[in-house]
Formats: sequence, structure tokens, C-alpha cells
Amino acid sequence: MNRTSRHPMRRILLSAAVLLALVGVFVVRLVDIQIVRAAELNEQAQDARSEPVTVYGARGDIVDTNGKVLADSVMRYDIALSPKQATKGDVVREVPDPDDPTKSKEVDVPLEQIAAELGAVVGLTGDQVQGIISAALADDPNSDFAYVAKLVDTETYEQVKALDIPWVEPYQHPSRRYPNGAVAGNLVGFIDPDGVPVAGLELSEDKCLASEDGKVSYLHSLQDWVRIPGTEIVHKQAHDGGTLKLTIDTDLQWAVQRIAEARVQETGAEWATVTVMEAKTGRLLAVADVPTVDPNNPSATDEDDRGSRSFTAPFEPGSTFKALTAASVINAGLADPFSKITAPYRIVFPNGANINDSSSHEDLRLTLTGVLIESSNTGMSQFGELMTDRARYDDMLKFGLGAETEVGFLAEEPGDLHGDPDEDWDNQTKYATMFGQGLTTTAVQIASVYQTIANDGVRMPVTLVDGCVSDDGTEETTPSKGERVISSEAARETSEMLERVYQEAWLSDEWNISGYRVAAKTGTAQFPDGEGGYRKEYLVSVSGFAPADDPQFVVSVSIMNPVKMNSSAASAPVFQEVMSQVLKKYRTVPSGAPAPELPATW
Amino acid sequence: MSAVQAQSLPAPRRVGPERPQRRLRPAPERAARSKPRLAYAVIALGGVAVIIVAQLLLSIAVTQGAYEIDALQMQQTVLTRDEQKLSEDLDRVESPQFLATKAEGLGMVPNSDPVYLRLSDGAVLGEPTAAEGGARASAPLVPNALIDGVPSNGKAQAGETPIGGTPGQAEGAASEAPAGAPAAPVDGGLPTPATH
Repeated sequence: MNRTSRHPMRRILLSAAVLLALVGVFVVRLVDIQIVRAAELNEQAQDARSEPVTVYGARGDIVDTNGKVLADSVMRYDIALSPKQATKGDVVREVPDPDDPTKSKEVDVPLEQIAAELGAVVGLTGDQVQGIISAALADDPNSDFAYVAKLVDTETYEQVKALDIPWVEPYQHPSRRYPNGAVAGNLVGFIDPDGVPVAGLELSEDKCLASEDGKVSYLHSLQDWVRIPGTEIVHKQAHDGGTLKLTIDTDLQWAVQRIAEARVQETGAEWATVTVMEAKTGRLLAVADVPTVDPNNPSATDEDDRGSRSFTAPFEPGSTFKALTAASVINAGLADPFSKITAPYRIVFPNGANINDSSSHEDLRLTLTGVLIESSNTGMSQFGELMTDRARYDDMLKFGLGAETEVGFLAEEPGDLHGDPDEDWDNQTKYATMFGQGLTTTAVQIASVYQTIANDGVRMPVTLVDGCVSDDGTEETTPSKGERVISSEAARETSEMLERVYQEAWLSDEWNISGYRVAAKTGTAQFPDGEGGYRKEYLVSVSGFAPADDPQFVVSVSIMNPVKMNSSAASAPVFQEVMSQVLKKYRTVPSGAPAPELPATW
Repeated sequence: MSAVQAQSLPAPRRVGPERPQRRLRPAPERAARSKPRLAYAVIALGGVAVIIVAQLLLSIAVTQGAYEIDALQMQQTVLTRDEQKLSEDLDRVESPQFLATKAEGLGMVPNSDPVYLRLSDGAVLGEPTAAEGGARASAPLVPNALIDGVPSNGKAQAGETPIGGTPGQAEGAASEAPAGAPAAPVDGGLPTPATH
């Protein structure tokens, strides 16, 4: 017997060991590849065969109360070219052969012609396109990327595609569009070309509107780029943004902006705001700011004019504020529309406060109604002093002054009630605050005060956003619950007095709306100059509501520095036009009985 | 080595002849195997073939489907783009600025004195007053960058062209068109009378 056969076990063991070792190596490798590094390798493999593609989630729309789109997302395209490739040689193009229509032949198209064709499509000249190419090459001779045009629309994109130039490539670029242009532009705001919201509701409601882009990769056939079924991998799901529903009515907003803009141009005013509010709900139907920004082209408007002054520009309201003081005094049971005082031109109170009216006059024997009609500061002061400063201050807070409204607009100002009445109000301020000086409010706050009076003394939260409908259909709405500020009786009496103001004050011819009972009050106010003092120009305003017998709508107009007509006469026609437009638009039934007579003098 | 061992009896030796008896037992004769039937082979192979063919067909079908999906997706993309273009156009011409410009172009003016007829008793509410003044050009008051140039383009004009006539024939066609002529398909805008 030979040696090997003498130790058969050894041989078997050896080969078993070798086999085991081999199998072991394979098993370890298998586990390593299939389990330990599976994810990583999968990803590498996927990367090698396909590239993740961005799936764009659409930013949510902003719609008005009727669902009309104020802002929506569209796909735009950036057209880029490769300067390096462009100069490499002529483009070969297949054209039908003139000799034989069934065949096509290849022709060389020189760069000049291609550049001219491309330029014609994107709105440049051929030379400009060539200029882009040579400029890019001058910077970097190997330049492989330069934009020809950005954010072109679908039509242009298709035309570029049709040119079929190998070194031109369009890229998708989700963009924003505002079909109604400047209508509600100051409210809606806008986003910058990179998709970052920079102003208005676009910014403040970004949480609702923002979308999430997703990523998907898939394998495709080599030749014709057809997606292979079953190879799709969703790395990240795309989400569309929610739809933001506003309380604004686009048509009314447009009409109001148009009226305001026309008046601003007529009177040479600096700016104007008009607020239309639903009296029973506190919903803002229109908030016009002039100058107006067209969000499609924000750079055409001065940077300071791109926000909404109705929310962001506090001013001393002046005489429109007298309605609040009157309502407070009546509510406290200290006066009624018939209460009598004597209003001199100038009055010096025991604490040294020196108050005078806007124009010189004899002593007038006025009722509270008469004080409002004549807009007498001295008269109002005598009624205001019936209340403690603290009580008046508390009423102001209840009317929503001194705090931002529920809207929470971007950069909204709370207004300034001049600190605490006991500690910070000086003797003059104590009286000045009775007729709207020494404190500031925004236009929307004043509208809210009139809404409270119109709505039977119940203040409704100011609303601009009705809710947000997210892409899965869930709707978020803000519940609106009113709060009683003054008694129903006080509200009704104040409203009746304001009706007398509308009928008897010096502007009554300017703002007559036939068929309706209207309650309104004018104001002339000073505007802070931002340095602690006041500007010498005036802000003229009118606030009111109609129909007074069943108030539906509150309109508040402010016009800053109408140089050609520096009085409330500048704002009264705006009030008239806007209010009649509102009443007409909402088919408001004209008032029946005439306004009750209230004596103005005694 | 120990005494005990030495004294112990030798173990009874196994008898030789017994072993071969056990070892070399004649193998039991196996039952004659039945011949493998051809049918089984055919079935097995056939099955394999069917599976392969089925898979091939499935694979072809899936691939074909992929191309169909691709073609449909391409079509969808094109249609989505068309839809976007059209809805953009629609939104533009729906905007109040555009409507106002059009209305003013037709000589319309807003009347701010509404009048109501109450059906219950036939009462007229409000004072009927004629609208005042000429149309104020409101287009520049509330700008809209999107409609710049739209009113003057061919599309918007096409709507005012009587049906059946090209823009060039507009005047002649307007007088020829019989009253109550059936509405023809619209290409570009809603038909409105050319006379206004």
C-alpha cells in the first residue's frame, strides 16, 4: 500500500478544511455584501445606473374668498447653453431634401444663424447670444455653462426645444405667478427668483404654502431613455403646499384700489389706504394700499411701498377717534346723545391742558351729537373728562387698540397708546387722547373700532386669512368669536349720532349715497416723522359704515398728504365711491326709514 | 502486566467461519426497475419550456407596457404644458384689469347708483341716475405685468371677429351674418358682436 492510502482520514480532513475555509470566505463575503453593506452598495449601484430626479412639489395657491387665484405656481424654464460646445463647430441639422421629398439631407448651420434663431425665440438678438458665448469663453475658455434666458414660459421653452440645438439645454424652474397683477399685491407679497418668500402673506403664511420637493430615481433603457418598470425608487415623497384662502374679494379689491389710486393721482397724495370690512364678522373684504406693488414685477415699486400700510403705518387718527370716546362715555352711562355742553374755541382745563378747535368760532351750545358733527375738540374734551383716564384706556384696549390685530400681518404695528395713562400720560395727553391725538393706531384698527360700533358693540376678530387647506384636504380655520366692548344701547346711540354727522357735517354733499343710511366721521391727523416729532403734512381720513339701520360694511379711508386738497374733502369722495361700490356689489337692500333726528344744539 | 491479567483466561476466540457468513451475505435481488416513461420527461421539459416562454412573453409584455407608459407620460407632459399655457391665458384675461380695459373699450362706465326693484310690491328702491362721465382709463391704475400687450394681440381680437370671417373680412362679414346664425366653434375667444 502506498503512503496516501495509508492515511485516508488526513486527506479527507485536509480537503474538508480547505472546503470549509473556502465556503467560510464566501459566506462571510456574502453576509458582508448582502446584509452588512447592502444599503450602501445598493445605493452605489443605483447611482451608477441612474441619477435621482427632483420631483417638484407645487407651492400652494393663494385664493380669494370666491376661490379666484391670486397667486399660483407655474413651471418656468431657464435656458442654458454650453459656450465650449457652441464654438466647436456648425450644428448639423436634417432638413427635407428639396430634390426628393421622401428623404432628408444634412446641412451645416453656422453659429451665427443658430444664435439668431435662438435669440429670436428668447427675445435677444443673435449678436447678444453670441456675446453671451464669447463673454463666458473670455472668463473661462473651457466654460461649459451659461444662461441665455431665465424664467421663460412654456411656449418659449417649446420653441427652444423645437430648435433642437445640441448645446442648448432648458432647466425646469418652478416659479410664482400673480394672474391678477397688483390686485391685493401689497397683501399677497411676492417671492424672489430663487423661490424664497420675501414679503406679505407669501412670507408670513409660508408654513401653509411651502411645498416639499421629492427625489425619485429609476433605471432607464440606454437607447431611448424609457423607464424600466419596477425600478423606481422614491427617495423622498414630494408634497404640494396648502391653499391659502383669504377673505379678500378680488373684484372689490380691484375696484377699491382703482378708486384709491385715481384719487391719489388727482390730489397728489403720498399714499393712501382703504379698508373694507364686513361689519358682522370682522372679515376684511378689501385692503387697498397705494402705491400698489405688482408682485409679478415688484422692483417697479419703491421698496417702502411694497408692504401694506393699512397694517404697518400707525398714525394719530384724529377726529375719527371721537366716535370711540363718545361710545365709551355713553357706555359708562355718563352721557347720551342729548347731553349738553358749551364748546368754546379754546379751553384751559384745571390741570393746565390747553385745548383748541381747528378753526376759530364763538362759543357753541352743543349736544354730544353736535360735538361730533362740529368735530369740536373742546366739546369732546368736556365729555371725555367725565371718565377716568384709566377707564378710557381700558376701553381703548377692549376696542383692540394698542395691540396687533388678530391678522398678525408681516411687520404689523400695534400702535402706541402713549404708555400707561396714570404714569406716562401728561396733562395735555390726557385730553388729547380724547380726540385721537397723542396716540397712534393703524387704519385696520380704526376700521375695527367702527366695526365694533356697527356690530351692536361686539368686536369681531379682524380676519384676513380664512384658512389653509393642506394638500391632503384637511382644512385649518381660525374660529372667530366676538367680544362685547360696549353695550348694545351705546353702540346704537353712537351709530345714530354718526348718521347725523354723515348728514349734517360740512362734507355731507361730498359723500352722499342715495337710498342708504350711512354713519361716518372724518378725521385730519398728523403723522409721526419717525424722529419723535410730527410731519407738517396731514393725513386725512374717513371711517364709517352702511347701511346704518342694519350695518353690513365698514369702510375706512386714509390719504397721506394730499397736497392739492389738504383736508378730509380729499378722502370723502373715496369713501362715497368705495361704499357705493360695496353696497352695489353685495346687492344691499336700500334703507327704508330715514335716520332719526337728533338735536345738535340747544 | 498485572498478575490478574496474566491469570485471566484468554478470551474465547471468535470463531473465524462465523464472520464471512455475516459479511458476505448475497445482496437481495432488487426488483427490476420499471423503465422511465417518456411522458414524464416530456411533461417536465414541456413545463420548463412553457415557463420560459411564459416568462419571455410576460417580459415582452412588460417592456411593451413600459414603452406605452413612456409614450403616454410624454403625452401627459405635453398636455400638462398645454393646459398650463391655456390656464395662464385664461387667468390673464379673467383678471379685473383685462375685463375693465375691455369694458371701457366698449364704452362702458360704472354706475355707482344702484336701483332695486322689489318684486313683492313692485317698489323701486333707490334713485335711478345715469352713469356719469366718460370712462376713466383704469388700466394704468392697477398694474398687471402679465396682461401687458395682451389686449392688442391677435388672440383677443379674434374674439371680436364675426364667426366665419377672417379678421380682414370683419366688416363685410358682420353685415352679412344673419341674425341668430348658429354659433360656430370659437378659436381664441368668446364671440362678441363686432358692432358696438
